[in-house]
Amino acid sequence: MKPLSRRTFLKGAGTFIAIPFLDAMVPAFAKSAPKSPARMMYVYAPSGMIPRYWNPTTTGRDFEYQRIMKPLEKFRSDILVMSGLSRKPLGLAMNDGGGDHARAVASYLTGVRPKKTLGADFHAGVSADQIAARVLGQKTRFSSLELACEDSRTVGACDSYTCAYQTISWKSPTQPLPPEINPRALFECLFGSAEVSDDPTERSNQQVSRRSILDLTRENTKDLMRMLGPTDRRKMDEYLTSIRETERRLEKSHSNPHALSLPAIGKPSGIPADYAEHARLMFDLLTIALQTDMTRVGTFMMAREGGVRPYPEIGVPEAHHPLTHHRGNPEMIEKVTKIECYHMEQFAYFVAKLKSIQEGDGTLLDHSAIVYGASMAEPNGHDNCPTLIAGSAGGRIKTGQHIACEKSTPIANLHLSMLDLVGVPTDKLGNSNGKLDFLTGIT
Amino acid sequence: MRVLVAAVPREATQFESSVKPLLREFCIDCHNAKKHKGDLNLEAFLIQSAQSALVERTTWTEVLSRMREGEMPPTEEKQPTPERVAAVVAWFDGEYAELDRHAAPNPGRVTVRRLNRYEYDNTVRDLLGVNFRVSEDFPADQFGYGFNNIGDVLTLSPLLMEKYLEAAERISRIAVPLSKPYPNLAMRYEAEASGQQRRAHIQAVHDFPVDGTYNLRTAWEQGLPNNFQMAVRTFVDGNEVLNLLFVHGSLMDRAREAKGVAIPRGTHKIETWIDVPPPAPGARPTAYPYPVRIEINGPFEQVPREQSASYRQIFQTEGVFATNAPAKSARQILVPLVRRAYRRPAARKDLNPLVGLVNSVQERGGSFEDGIRTALQAILISPNFLFRIERDPTGNAPHLISDLELASRLSYFLWSTMPDDELLAVAEKGRLGQPEVLHAQVRRMLADPKGRTLAENFAGQWLQTRNLESLKPDRNLFPDFDLPLRDDMMTETTLFFHAVVAEDRSILDFLDGKFTFLNERLAELYRIPDVQGREFRRVELDGTVRSGILTQASVLTVTSYPTRTSPVIRGKWVLENILNAPPRDPPANVPALDETDGGSAASIRLQLEKHRSQAECAGCHARMDPLGFGLENYDGIGRWRTAEGGLPVDATGRLPNGKAFSGSEELKAVFRADAPRFVRAFSEKLLTYALGRGLESYDKPAIEKIARRVEQHNHRFSELVAAIVDSVPFRMRHRENTESLRLDTKSDTSQETKPNKTP
Repeated sequence: MKPLSRRTFLKGAGTFIAIPFLDAMVPAFAKSAPKSPARMMYVYAPSGMIPRYWNPTTTGRDFEYQRIMKPLEKFRSDILVMSGLSRKPLGLAMNDGGGDHARAVASYLTGVRPKKTLGADFHAGVSADQIAARVLGQKTRFSSLELACEDSRTVGACDSYTCAYQTISWKSPTQPLPPEINPRALFECLFGSAEVSDDPTERSNQQVSRRSILDLTRENTKDLMRMLGPTDRRKMDEYLTSIRETERRLEKSHSNPHALSLPAIGKPSGIPADYAEHARLMFDLLTIALQTDMTRVGTFMMAREGGVRPYPEIGVPEAHHPLTHHRGNPEMIEKVTKIECYHMEQFAYFVAKLKSIQEGDGTLLDHSAIVYGASMAEPNGHDNCPTLIAGSAGGRIKTGQHIACEKSTPIANLHLSMLDLVGVPTDKLGNSNGKLDFLTGIT
Repeated sequence: MRVLVAAVPREATQFESSVKPLLREFCIDCHNAKKHKGDLNLEAFLIQSAQSALVERTTWTEVLSRMREGEMPPTEEKQPTPERVAAVVAWFDGEYAELDRHAAPNPGRVTVRRLNRYEYDNTVRDLLGVNFRVSEDFPADQFGYGFNNIGDVLTLSPLLMEKYLEAAERISRIAVPLSKPYPNLAMRYEAEASGQQRRAHIQAVHDFPVDGTYNLRTAWEQGLPNNFQMAVRTFVDGNEVLNLLFVHGSLMDRAREAKGVAIPRGTHKIETWIDVPPPAPGARPTAYPYPVRIEINGPFEQVPREQSASYRQIFQTEGVFATNAPAKSARQILVPLVRRAYRRPAARKDLNPLVGLVNSVQERGGSFEDGIRTALQAILISPNFLFRIERDPTGNAPHLISDLELASRLSYFLWSTMPDDELLAVAEKGRLGQPEVLHAQVRRMLADPKGRTLAENFAGQWLQTRNLESLKPDRNLFPDFDLPLRDDMMTETTLFFHAVVAEDRSILDFLDGKFTFLNERLAELYRIPDVQGREFRRVELDGTVRSGILTQASVLTVTSYPTRTSPVIRGKWVLENILNAPPRDPPANVPALDETDGGSAASIRLQLEKHRSQAECAGCHARMDPLGFGLENYDGIGRWRTAEGGLPVDATGRLPNGKAFSGSEELKAVFRADAPRFVRAFSEKLLTYALGRGLESYDKPAIEKIARRVEQHNHRFSELVAAIVDSVPFRMRHRENTESLRLDTKSDTSQETKPNKTP
């Protein structure tokens, strides 16, 4: 029996559609700033890692790459591995009971313990990527991109919490940013939908009318808000914020008339059934977005935290999450490790891609700081979150080594240092109690 | 807003004579000021009066439910007699019922609701007559309280805003097409993996840009074995457009095309089946043909846009529309459009800016239709369209919502879409609030084809069968499971639910209705003979091992792991969805139950028994696991089995209250015997969905009233809907105090001790 055909490509009159050369693709820095901008990314791996196949046994430069990290070994000089970072006080149950995975997601970049609820009153914090986006996003079309290979399209609660917590990116404590998972939608978001005209006059007309529509809507909404109670008004506030952000993106997308040549990429027609293909397609598109300076900030979730996706293509037909409760069963540990390696292979593909792109005095990877990490340790722990950084944020990070942080250093300290590295110095994030001197201080 | 507590308990002496002694003897050893196990301190109540103890309703509700279930005191501790427990429970029930009778009705307050994806698509379809599934690209809607239509939880991110804008452009271009014809395009959908079976299937979901004719071509690989014939059938949305029979030798090009198929604009599913009849005994073919791609070509003949329904609806033209001489002014066109889109009469404040927009487009050189198209875009991203907004009159008392607001509540409850013209007209005349008018509308709406949305939208969430979409049973263990079978499973449940709605049956049929809807493949899975063909038909289930929803393949599959069944998941599912008594969260940082250990059912039962012997797990697992064991005769995709891993299946279980059962039929009998409980659980689910908010303790009287009315009317589905529609929370709304940030719903009865002021 044939599975549903999904990997399909738009073939307009038999031809392969290349990316349209929209004005949006011109890097904002092409003319004015000779220096490459720093990019900040978080790539999130779900449900922790098997420690013995992740943790390096020695510190310093010549540590041995364990099994899960192996696909990155060829980029050894571009990688900084950190151990000892912790999410402990945020992850522990305290009086909140079960829900380790929901807490893991919502607290990862916020440093804040999410409020235990199934609905109405969910509340977390502002995430590190969104703090960066507020500043770095001023200069780019998208202040940030939130991507994933799986979303919470399931019915019911998510790990005893509302499913609103299933994202690591939070614009405000009450506004989670759900990730995009569909490569076609991402493509259209970056390059415009296929129906966007290639006639410049028509296109500029479209822009004008978009702007006037948004303008009109904004005014009407303000009017409407006066008649609403506080909770309803808060919902409308969210709506208004989104209108403004959309207006801003429109502004940015048409501020530069240059062109840049790009590799042709087919417009994906949907979500590939194959996981690796899906992840790589998303990474391909993300790379173009970073390369063309459409954004400088992003998050990427390899799969849902505590998710139950099986990976039959690598010999794991069982659901992921239950396997992680392996209780020492070697067969289950092996299967979990396989999944973790598989995720890492896709990340390594992304790293290779960034490294292959020349930019100014180095590569795109050199000008980025990309955290790959998990919020859970194994299986339900919160100490020693697996963490590494790829890229040196323009030579500022001393990559090529493994550094053991002081035990139980809040992972929020890493986020603060990341913010420093990309030029958005911030004093406090959730439960942070300092910064990582080896990252931002004198080494 | 707080619900005040009644002044004096009727029977305060019973609190002293039966409640306190029971607490003292059986509870406070663990739940005292020092130990307070499970965060519960009952010792404090020993020195309180009945009146002040009753204030802690949330606590007592929890305590009583544990005692009712036999969960507390734990089995290893000394037990009170059932009579003593019953006396205590009855006292609290009586007091609270009395209290509710005297409390001022509190309808709660529903937060402004954004249309979710399903509602968005339906509303666009009914507003413009274009069936376009644009919301596929929207980010997933968040769930709260088990449903994805909860106002408080539905957020709106910049990403979604951008999608709304793009969708508005896309929809408006379809509804008000450009004057130039659409180019002829070829789109190719390729199958990914190959698997050669007797019945092969390929499908593609495609957006057709315009009413017109299209060619649909299916290509396959692999010739036909000797002496075999095969059927190639292509369907558009389930309607056959091609049916060809080939015999061996006649196949040269391995592709066939349905030519000139008239397809209306919008999203449609194209699918092709390639069937080879079963081989004659002895003849064993080695490989079967399998489809590799579907190609869609077109449009060839295009229906002129002026003739399309959506175009006529907007421009209100009867015949051919003359482009350069608009028959109606922008205002004339926009008044009815805005009324339907905003689900209320258009106000001048709505219209003036839109008319201005039309003018400004024309000033920039656009046509009148370009202007209307742009105005339509503005309408489609307006908060008045995207949100269901209810306005408060002045004053602080709970108020009846307006007839127009009621019309929207009704239509989104029963249809998941906007009110139709009749409903809107009745509401505009101010007559919808009259009981006989309201009930007539409810009956009409349930009988309408759109009444099916309850089965599609509510049932899929209530039963969580929507999750089937993301489940992937292991192909090696369950080679029968594929996408068409998965769809068949969902179809069965949808048809079954809809039969209860359409035939106005008893809601207890959900527990053990002895009929269902099957096609050949599902019937094969169930081993029910004499059902042939792809079409679903009603099948009586007397004498089979199936009845009701619990033993439908959809439910059994969605509550299993990819490789095997899970009594825990199934038990939890029953508690959540049949009894609406979800188990507490597992204790944190305790490794989850190790039932994943790939072992046989017997070994899982053994592990679970071990698990239940741990005190902190026992409470919930003693409730969950037995329920799941009762369904062990059904495997991970719902097939019947009597043995597993060489051992006979053990489907016996014992509930905490001591009731023992064996197998699914006896388990269902247990639920059936406790019908009032299911009636309340189901009413709570449907009310949550109807309101779009979580239920609170002040909703208790409403639920009780609804449940009793259902019980008095043979549990008829329509009576449940009518009772919900008539209920205080559905008809009324509480004004939000401007000084308080939100309704303090959790602690509504826990603070106030002042005597009740009669309303």
